[in-house]
Amino acid sequence: MSTQLRQVAALALICTAVATAARAQASAKAPVPRDDGRWTMPGKDYSATRYSGLTQITRVNAARLQPVWNFSTGVLRGHEGQPLVVDNTMFVVTPYPNVLYAFDLSKPDYPLKWKYRPAVSSNALGVACCDAINRGAFYAEGKIVYNLLDGHTVAVDATTGKELWNVKIADPKDGETTPMAPLVVKNRVIVGPSGGEFGIHGWAKALDLATGQVAWTAYNEGPDADMLVKPGTFKPFYDRGTDLGVTTWAEDTWRVGGAPVWGWLSYDPELDLVYFGVGNPGPYNPEQRLGDNKWTNSVLARRPGDGALVWAYQFTPHDNWDYDSNAEMILADLTVKGRVRKALVHFDKNGFAYTLDRATGEVLVAEPYVVVNWAKGVDLKTGRPIVDSTKLTGAGKGDVKYICPTLEGGKSPASPAAFSPRTKLFYASTLNLCMNFAAQKAGRIRGTPYVGADMPYQAGPGGHLGAFIAWDASVGRKVWEIKERYPVWSGVLATAGDVVFYGTLDGWFKAADATTGKLLWKFKVGSGVVGAPITYRGPDGRQYLAVYAGIGGDWALLSGDLRSDDPNDVRDPADFIKDLGRYTSLGGMVWIFALEGANR
Amino acid sequence: MRHTRATFLAVGTLVGAAACASGKPAPPAEAAQPVAPTGQFTAPPSVRYDQHVFAGGAVPPAGTLDNPFAADPKSATEGEKLFSSMNCNGCHATGATGAWAPSLSDGRWRYGGADGAIYQSIFYGRPEGMPAFGGMLQPPVIWKLVTYLKSLPVPRAVPTQSW
Repeated sequence: MSTQLRQVAALALICTAVATAARAQASAKAPVPRDDGRWTMPGKDYSATRYSGLTQITRVNAARLQPVWNFSTGVLRGHEGQPLVVDNTMFVVTPYPNVLYAFDLSKPDYPLKWKYRPAVSSNALGVACCDAINRGAFYAEGKIVYNLLDGHTVAVDATTGKELWNVKIADPKDGETTPMAPLVVKNRVIVGPSGGEFGIHGWAKALDLATGQVAWTAYNEGPDADMLVKPGTFKPFYDRGTDLGVTTWAEDTWRVGGAPVWGWLSYDPELDLVYFGVGNPGPYNPEQRLGDNKWTNSVLARRPGDGALVWAYQFTPHDNWDYDSNAEMILADLTVKGRVRKALVHFDKNGFAYTLDRATGEVLVAEPYVVVNWAKGVDLKTGRPIVDSTKLTGAGKGDVKYICPTLEGGKSPASPAAFSPRTKLFYASTLNLCMNFAAQKAGRIRGTPYVGADMPYQAGPGGHLGAFIAWDASVGRKVWEIKERYPVWSGVLATAGDVVFYGTLDGWFKAADATTGKLLWKFKVGSGVVGAPITYRGPDGRQYLAVYAGIGGDWALLSGDLRSDDPNDVRDPADFIKDLGRYTSLGGMVWIFALEGANR
Repeated sequence: MRHTRATFLAVGTLVGAAACASGKPAPPAEAAQPVAPTGQFTAPPSVRYDQHVFAGGAVPPAGTLDNPFAADPKSATEGEKLFSSMNCNGCHATGATGAWAPSLSDGRWRYGGADGAIYQSIFYGRPEGMPAFGGMLQPPVIWKLVTYLKSLPVPRAVPTQSW
């Protein structure tokens, strides 16, 4: 931890009490529009706030929450993402093999209306880097739209469960898989591939909502024509020049340079811009791809209609640490330095939380939200990180010790944050981990990993492995935190009852006071939580919560032996998280909670 | 290590593996070059895992795959290098301890742990994502990988984890 960071941390502590008091007063006056009680898209709304206006569950009564129902999905892999609730029906997509369940919330015991079992190739399992997860579905115009792991997007009739279309969008033979959740804007279904560890040539595609036909394909690296960079339309705030997706790569390394799209998308209807993060360049060994490697580790703002790139900003140029930028881009109007700005807030894997102007891509605030030592800060004039050269990696540099954060990120993009317009705070699950990084020359073999590095992890300062934090993005300051024994890897829900919800890897689902960070309630859901909680209004008018249990994702790889279903794969626990297996194991469950006395 | 011997039948169209079934090491070959068809027609080698024997009540008749480098430390060292250069470590982790693909160092095998069975897993691939490297790696290269994996010490305490 640099001196500068220590000072920031100390200042944050001092400021917390003052800021909290002021905020509590302000939030009491904020108007609360009536929520429709549904949850139709991954991030709750196009701004990806994961904020619900429902108010029945409050900081006063949250301690009276109790489980009312659960369901085993029959799948053991990591249950990322979230259910949807539309028209008194809950839709659940499982990890591979990507079963879609529709539960009837209007009937006792919530029986299934139908389930949809697509054919998904098991070959995709070999090129899905980080467990065979799925990040959820999107509801639009009577259709449930989601991706199958093996490179297909499907649309299913929300009423009948009948498959309406099933379109191949990606090819596992090229290292592409598709666990991300689509975003539907008007008649466009926007999707992208994983495969930053497999030498893919990353892209986003828009499919026609009615037919699934590809309307446009926009690459994340390569010539302007392939990137849908159109003269006069593309106006990045910091960068100038043509074909930046080629000229910022040594030779033609961009062709297998990674740049996956596996995170969350958001949309501003007024600006008509879709925002999404682009992942890491490949291979990890940076000496094999000299240059900035645009537009890896970047946010892209594209027009949904024709895919045209309007602006782009690269968080981590010439990535040395696998700092993907696939984390959600939360849209909120914030007062920054006395001015109300149309902001975009992003917790990058690189440990900095960024507040950008979402119309232009200008960086307004960039401050570390966890311990960061690879960079001393971000230069707001150039938008570039001020890199500590002793933390640069490469095959020629050997084993570079103690880099914070790890390639899991200060926060994982798999665990989306939330924003409450009442408290004006962002809530995020964070990791307190540091790594060594020994890069090696990687050989490219189609459909196999293109990585070239070993990166063992260890606990960061303090010894706890994670924390749940509240963040003031107007100034870039942590307001409170709840330290957790294990990395926190769940999505977050914020509600108008001023309660925030998250889960832990050891299998607890927790509620905290949005203003103070006081723990209000917790319940052991069994397997560790890597999904994102939601809330909805039931047919009986009551407020319910839903969350998946089912540890997995990166933790299927990192934790050693958390599984018991395969007698032919036995591993030692990872030394940085040796005892997680004492508390949890694989197992997918859907849980529903309500206040005690909720009638169903 | 347990070997099941069976008759080698002259049917089938196995390419490449035939060369290794002879028991003679082929001349050293570069990795990542396509395997030239041998033109020979031979039976598939025996499938030697226990489930199959249970199912049929008897070992199916087929050929034996003999590892020309079995227990040769130099080949094991070369195999370790290949394990990294052919990206095996990308899925199975350095030391073959398991990452998104299973551990190959726990002494337990989904598809049989005899040298020939491991050879087949590499040559043909396996369900759930193991690619078929038979079109890319020459038989001696695959045997060196097998020799490396078989050289890994199996940790004693695998069945019990205690805190």
